[in-house]
Amino acid sequence: MGEVILEMKGIDKSFPGVHALDHVDLEIRKGEVLALMGENGAGKSTLMKVLTGIYTKDSGTITYEGKEVEFHSAREAQDNGVIIVHQELNMLGHLTVAQNIFIGREFKKGIKIDDKKMNEEAQKLFDRMNVDIDPRETMSKLTVGKQQMCEIAKAISHDAKIIIFDEPSAALTETEIEQLFKIIRDLRSQGMGIVYISHRMDEIKVITDRVTVMRDGTYVGTLITKDSTKDDIINMMVGRVIYEDPKEKNMTPPGAPVVLKVDHLNAGKMVQDVSFELHKGEILGFSGLMGAGRTETARALFGADPIDSGDIYINGKKVTIKSPQDAVKYGIGYLSEDRKRYGIVVQKSVAENTTMATLEKFMSGPFIDKKKENKIAQEYVEQLATKTPGTDQLVVNLSGGNQQKVVIAKWLTRDCDILIFDEPTRGIDVGAKNEIYKLMNQLAAEGKAIIMISSEMTEILRMSDRIVVMCEGKKTGELDISEATQENIMNMATREIE
Amino acid sequence: MEKIKQNPFVKKVGFNRIVLCCVLLLMYGLFCALTGGSFAGMNRIMSALNYAYFLGFLSLGVTFVIATGQIDFSIGPVMFCCALISGYTLTTHGISMPVAFLISILVGFAFGLFNGYLVAYWSVPSFITSMASMNIAKGLASVYTKTQSVSWPQAADPDNGWFRNLVRYNGVPVGLVILLVVAVVCAIILNKTRIGRYILCLGSNKEAVRLSGVDVKKWEMLAFIICGVLVGMGAIFYVSAYTTVQPGYGDQYNNEAIAGCVMGGTSMAGGLASISGTIIGVFIIALLQEGILALGFTKDYQLIITGVIVIVAVFSDVLARRRKN
Repeated sequence: MGEVILEMKGIDKSFPGVHALDHVDLEIRKGEVLALMGENGAGKSTLMKVLTGIYTKDSGTITYEGKEVEFHSAREAQDNGVIIVHQELNMLGHLTVAQNIFIGREFKKGIKIDDKKMNEEAQKLFDRMNVDIDPRETMSKLTVGKQQMCEIAKAISHDAKIIIFDEPSAALTETEIEQLFKIIRDLRSQGMGIVYISHRMDEIKVITDRVTVMRDGTYVGTLITKDSTKDDIINMMVGRVIYEDPKEKNMTPPGAPVVLKVDHLNAGKMVQDVSFELHKGEILGFSGLMGAGRTETARALFGADPIDSGDIYINGKKVTIKSPQDAVKYGIGYLSEDRKRYGIVVQKSVAENTTMATLEKFMSGPFIDKKKENKIAQEYVEQLATKTPGTDQLVVNLSGGNQQKVVIAKWLTRDCDILIFDEPTRGIDVGAKNEIYKLMNQLAAEGKAIIMISSEMTEILRMSDRIVVMCEGKKTGELDISEATQENIMNMATREIE
Repeated sequence: MEKIKQNPFVKKVGFNRIVLCCVLLLMYGLFCALTGGSFAGMNRIMSALNYAYFLGFLSLGVTFVIATGQIDFSIGPVMFCCALISGYTLTTHGISMPVAFLISILVGFAFGLFNGYLVAYWSVPSFITSMASMNIAKGLASVYTKTQSVSWPQAADPDNGWFRNLVRYNGVPVGLVILLVVAVVCAIILNKTRIGRYILCLGSNKEAVRLSGVDVKKWEMLAFIICGVLVGMGAIFYVSAYTTVQPGYGDQYNNEAIAGCVMGGTSMAGGLASISGTIIGVFIIALLQEGILALGFTKDYQLIITGVIVIVAVFSDVLARRRKN
């Protein structure tokens, strides 16, 4: 086992209202692959951003090659040999491979760019990595896997001592992953320190030497990969105490009719063969890690994105949903995870947002009946306990929780029977969170059927009657709340894809 | 300053509009002083009003389009196209005056439909569609009139001369009355109907409106159609004031109409529009153009000044939004 090349100690970082990193430690060694694991929001990315100079730490020390350092920009980190290969590739598609690798530091012959020299140098890098890519090829013509190889070549050309891979395999095929692993092993044998961030448990077992686990912004511990099991790692990832009481049993009345049935739904890469049923009065939780395809499933179901194949049945009848208009007509309401972009019109009033989906109900002749509009909006303000000085208040001035209530009011005015809550409490403070939960339970008790997408395990366990788990665009499991635990949900969410 | 803004009267009328009215009066006073009082005469005012009528229709029209967050650079040439096609048909085929009016409005409607359809249903950027339809309008008018200018009947014409009363009858500025009535109708459409509500909302956040199950394409196209119809009406007032139209022109009115609209408080980013602001803005532009001529400068100076006004107005809108964020 190699010597320690970089050590992060007691790293602390806060954003307004969030303690993102709480005295986190991390140790990267020469000639070793370190896995960094944790649920969504555990702080992995934040920690790497602190390391590569994108964020400034509040306290703590970073020791690199025996000296205490602090990088102030990604560029400075890069110049010192600490390089991150992002999941989304930062490549310029219309330039050649070599031009991309040497961008910003082109070889020159007088004032002319020396493409020949760049191609030669790039070829040398590829030879060293043992991959077959033509440096003269246009970047956009390469597969995602090959583009990633180029990104790695670029990192090596910077004389990297530490390379961080942020979910590198997400977009790769089996063979590309094998090739990637071969390169990573080569880099390791050359004495580089490598950090590998991934949700895929099988890859962790194959490629990494140690696993460091983070949870809720804290350092949990580090394991030797070959001495530990998948269950050990998952236990460390989810081992938090659940303060709010989880739901004990399914509260859906027995024999409640199926209001929505989704059959073999396919939509793009992120929704593959998804099937499920939703009952009247039920809260169906959708759990999974980032990029599991839950939001994409909801958007396809709601007609916001096109469906490739699959059937949707509402109250037993097959329906065609091609646009949000169709979905709304069939009584589906969608509350987006990104309220400001997809949920509300912030520069308009509470009343105007409330009646957005139902304006035709508020017409008297050709004119909008503003009295009636304000009256109904006021009723919902009272019913949902929305904190606003009045219905003519612009929504931009309300807090996140109250904005969410305005969106809920919008769909209640429409009398939707199926409500899709996508991350219903994201960016909402604790007090308002409880109110939203109460409201959702109340709606379910009144017979609405609710789909709740959530990345928070506690929320899933607290609210759901049944849970659908997704992983990389596929449904990987379905659980009744009585049999659901953090461990078995996480197991399904990280399941190896055959 | 904040105190003034909080005054109930100021709040009701709108701070921006009060400032604009002051600018209008100051400009008028300045021109009177600089011309040694000759500007104060009724002739100059009437002349400025003539300019304000047709420009007012264009500016009202483009207000709807800008409210959706789009833009229309074709309004000037389309107005000329309306006036040329209807005028040529009138003078060569002897149709009646009301039919000529109808043709003018229909041509405007057709261009609005064309622009709106491309923008809303085919997602072609409005910048491009309107640039293209500007050229189409010019070309179409030239082909139809065989590149001849068209002269609408003079006031003395016993059959059709009456239409010139549309701008002025026995010294009464009828055009002003009509423009204000149309402006009131526009304000009602914008603020009290579903069309206006959806236009403003989708200008603010189109995706959120779409995800509320609203047919955003339809409403977006409607904004362009309203604009087209108003441009067709503007053409009638142009010929009522000036009678002669030449093919191949009209570009400068784009800038002036957009300047009037943006100066009046309509945001180029969409979602925010003021009809009364647009009308005051149009009066400022019209007065400016008359004043510059009265001071003995050529039309070229007016082009420069309107250009600068557009930039200043849009920039202050950008500043205001930046401060809000």
